[in-house]
Amino acid sequence: MTESVKLTIPSDPKYLSLARKIVYHLLINHDVSKEIIPRLVLCVDEACSNIIKYGYNGCQDQPIEMCFSLAEDFFEVKIRDYGKQCDSRDIKPRPIHEVKPGGLGTYFINEIMDEVNYCTNREKGTLLTMCKNLKGEPASAREKIG
Amino acid sequence: MSVDLKTSQNGNGVVTVLIEGDIDMSSSTEVRTHLTDLFEKKQKAIVVDLSKVPYIDSSGIATLVEGLQWSHANKTKFRLTRLTPMVKDVFEIARLLTVFEVFDSNEEALKGI
Repeated sequence: MTESVKLTIPSDPKYLSLARKIVYHLLINHDVSKEIIPRLVLCVDEACSNIIKYGYNGCQDQPIEMCFSLAEDFFEVKIRDYGKQCDSRDIKPRPIHEVKPGGLGTYFINEIMDEVNYCTNREKGTLLTMCKNLKGEPASAREKIG
Repeated sequence: MSVDLKTSQNGNGVVTVLIEGDIDMSSSTEVRTHLTDLFEKKQKAIVVDLSKVPYIDSSGIATLVEGLQWSHANKTKFRLTRLTPMVKDVFEIARLLTVFEVFDSNEEALKGI
């Protein structure tokens, strides 16, 4: 059985901690391994931060809609925004060997999640879908793309 | 969400900064401003105690990377201590554990400065 929880927050960084707490409690209540939970929380936080920074250009009163779906061995996050669209081919992490500030958020998402998809096939904004197999050890999205 | 930043002088131009709270997009600017002020005072060494940081995101990592670059440019020591498990895991994913000088205790971090 798949359980789903929906959450909408304003695009204000002060609400990121709220989103993190909800994802954490959702996963802990679902008996997800305590080792993977902080990583999944990080991915949701990084995705929302990118939306605030790039999609909404720092505007703090725009909606970020999230839907978290959990099955026995599967976690899926859909994050919808109505901000500036960008070509998914342009969303690239910086090369990890380059030690410099910035560009790590996308790297974390691709490294931790199994599947990452940015859909801009809509009038406004982007739908980001991230999936993680909670049981197996599949390759990261970065390795699949690479 | 704000962070609490406590600075203590260890003598001989060595400063320890204890950060308390999550370092994320809403708080990393505060951390950055605090560290920048310390760098501008031309400290000999800055030790950042992360034992009370349960969470860090890429903006927090970027702030610490900036500190590291500043220290390299100004021949200052910039050391991290007492990383919590979550913070250590993020550093590992980013492959930064060997880039920074990381210590298990403040005493170890202060040695040889």
